[in-house]
Amino acid sequence: MYQNKATPTTFVRNFIGMIKVPLISNTSFIIRQLPTPTAFVDTNYNIVQTSDKWTSIFNENEESNKSNSLFAVFPNLSHKWKMVLENCFKGNPQPMGIHKTIDTKGQDIWFEWTNAPWYDANENIVGAIIQLNNITDAVNNELELNKKELLLQQQTEITKIGRWEFNMEDNQLFWCTTTKSIHEVSPDFKPNIETALFYYKEGHSRNTISMALFEAQDKGKPWSNLKLQIITATGKEKWVMAGGKPIYNKGKMVGLIGTFQDIHEQVEADIKIINNEKLLRTLIDNLPVNVYIKDTESRKVLINKAECEYLGVNDPKEILGKNDFELYPSESAEKSRAEDLRVMKTLKPVIAKETVNTRLDGKQTSFLSSKIPLLNGKGIAYGLVGISLDISKLKEKEKELRNIINIASVQNKKLLNFAHIVSHNLRSHSANFSMLLNFLESEKDEDEKKSIVAMLTKASNNLLETLDNLNEVVSINTNTNIEIKEISLNEKVEDACQNLSPFILDNKATLENKIPENFIVKSVPAYLDSILTNFITNAVKYKHPNRDSYVSLSAEKKGNYAILTIKDNGLGIDLDKYGEKLFGMYKTFHDHTDARGIGLYLTKNQIDAMNGKVEVTSKVGKGTEFKIFFNEKN
Amino acid sequence: MKKISDITIIDDDAITVFGLRKLISTSIECNSIESYANGKIALDALTNFFNNNQQIPQIIFLDINMPIMDGWEFLEAFIELPITNKIRINIVTSSIDPRDKQQWEHYKDKSHHLITFNQKPIDRNKITEITQLA
Repeated sequence: MYQNKATPTTFVRNFIGMIKVPLISNTSFIIRQLPTPTAFVDTNYNIVQTSDKWTSIFNENEESNKSNSLFAVFPNLSHKWKMVLENCFKGNPQPMGIHKTIDTKGQDIWFEWTNAPWYDANENIVGAIIQLNNITDAVNNELELNKKELLLQQQTEITKIGRWEFNMEDNQLFWCTTTKSIHEVSPDFKPNIETALFYYKEGHSRNTISMALFEAQDKGKPWSNLKLQIITATGKEKWVMAGGKPIYNKGKMVGLIGTFQDIHEQVEADIKIINNEKLLRTLIDNLPVNVYIKDTESRKVLINKAECEYLGVNDPKEILGKNDFELYPSESAEKSRAEDLRVMKTLKPVIAKETVNTRLDGKQTSFLSSKIPLLNGKGIAYGLVGISLDISKLKEKEKELRNIINIASVQNKKLLNFAHIVSHNLRSHSANFSMLLNFLESEKDEDEKKSIVAMLTKASNNLLETLDNLNEVVSINTNTNIEIKEISLNEKVEDACQNLSPFILDNKATLENKIPENFIVKSVPAYLDSILTNFITNAVKYKHPNRDSYVSLSAEKKGNYAILTIKDNGLGIDLDKYGEKLFGMYKTFHDHTDARGIGLYLTKNQIDAMNGKVEVTSKVGKGTEFKIFFNEKN
Repeated sequence: MKKISDITIIDDDAITVFGLRKLISTSIECNSIESYANGKIALDALTNFFNNNQQIPQIIFLDINMPIMDGWEFLEAFIELPITNKIRINIVTSSIDPRDKQQWEHYKDKSHHLITFNQKPIDRNKITEITQLA
């Protein structure tokens, strides 16, 4: 125990004996001031002297420092150092490398160790001088760099973004493994700038990258996000995203670095999406129906061409984002909004509902409209798709058809009615004939016979007259090519009054023509004559016994009609009683000897034939007013 | 055959009136035959008879198509008169309009009088058949 303990003491003694102690003490304060951590060790590995810098780092008290063995301070390093130091003692200093120690504050400190033999004045090696170079920052930087490198590599692998570097000085091109794998070349492939360009697809891609490369080299212009196509080593077409920029050293362009990303799947997916969108767009734009999509606030977020046209805009952007209240009158909008909410709440679609939609400009359109809720992944409606088929024309056609059916049915009724009239009239005459002939056959009395023959003659005349009347009715109703002309109503009235003047004078009637001189009606001239004659005659004929007849004629235009009003102060007609029969054939309502019941019937037929109508108002004892409507559309 | 007192013809056609008169007078025994040119004149006359407690004709020949008041209007008013006797009303018409037949059925069911519907021409046999007391 003692011997072991005594051994270092012996060394020190020897050491001190070998070097001159005063030398040490003289130089010791110089050593202490050395700017780098420095230690002097003797050949027994004992620390003889240290700089203050060293002491401050390892914080040993000076006593122990001086007496302690180097290996006591750095127990981890003993073996390797021993060999290095031994060589140093022999005059062959070797690098000691970089070692980590822990400072007094417990932090990692990296040092580069250097050593040099320690010569005494006689050039004898008495130990070694160890100097430490604190390289903690450098090591940390390097560690950081390694980390970054690793990160970059990982990132490259994950994002499939490759790197490349082009050194302009030696014309060397570097591809990282990812870049190589994108090109589908082997890992040991050596690219150069020409082959690299050659991988780009001929045409747009190769031209673009060549241009970018040229501009980068020529003008220092970087490029980024170029979507280009390459043909890989195995002949596959691939979409890549390329970027690059010049790098400088001391203001001089020395090369280019850049990225190279495989975006094939993405581009393909994008292309597919674009194609699908195009297909969908083409489809909905060319559908002959209005299509739109609304969000939960009933704002239009998509509309097709037909809907654009309906709303009178060229660009859908003018409509998108607008709700119904901005596009339609509030009443329509409220209805539509309520329906939207119901569809989105109940998730029940509205299918092919017939609606009438009013635009802001007041135009009404009939639609067969459907509203289908759009559901998200959770089954909640996030909007709705609307499909509306414009059926206005169909509706119009339907209306026309209905009109035609109505006209046809009215015509049919008229025909049937006429058939009954004809049959009734002819039958009544033929019945009379047959009866009278029967009498004649069995009659013996000559006077009676003469009387029967007279009756027969009368019956024959009646039949002829009836046939004339019927013929007239038939000709009005069958003459479809009646020629309608524009006629001055005033002039025609004057003519009629002229023709009827004896009759008017006889009845002491006054006629007042209030029709403007330039008033034109569209009518068949002969029908107008007949209408005027009939109505004027009737007005005068059925005058009130207590007063002279006064008839006024006036005219106005209203809607599609020119209206002639003939007003008298005559007997009047009980319309409640006779209204329906007023224009019937052989209907007379006054006890008047020359009432035949054919005039108004014919007139009515003539007016009907010209698509006109007649209205009548009357008060018994006061007078009658007829309004004859001439259709302006003829 | 029971003797018929009074017969009335309501028709605006002089020839028909002449014919009916001739047929009736040569085949039926009756006191009088009156004729009226339309429903209005006939109704006024008959209402007058009724109000003055005079004999209402037992048989009436009635035309449908007449001016001023036609056969139906006459019937409408006539059946409203509170006549207890059952009167025979023979509608005589040349109409084949089904609506006229419907009208007839309407009034036939509405009234206690006997109302018949006859189409022209009327011959001697027919007149004997329909000129019997109701």
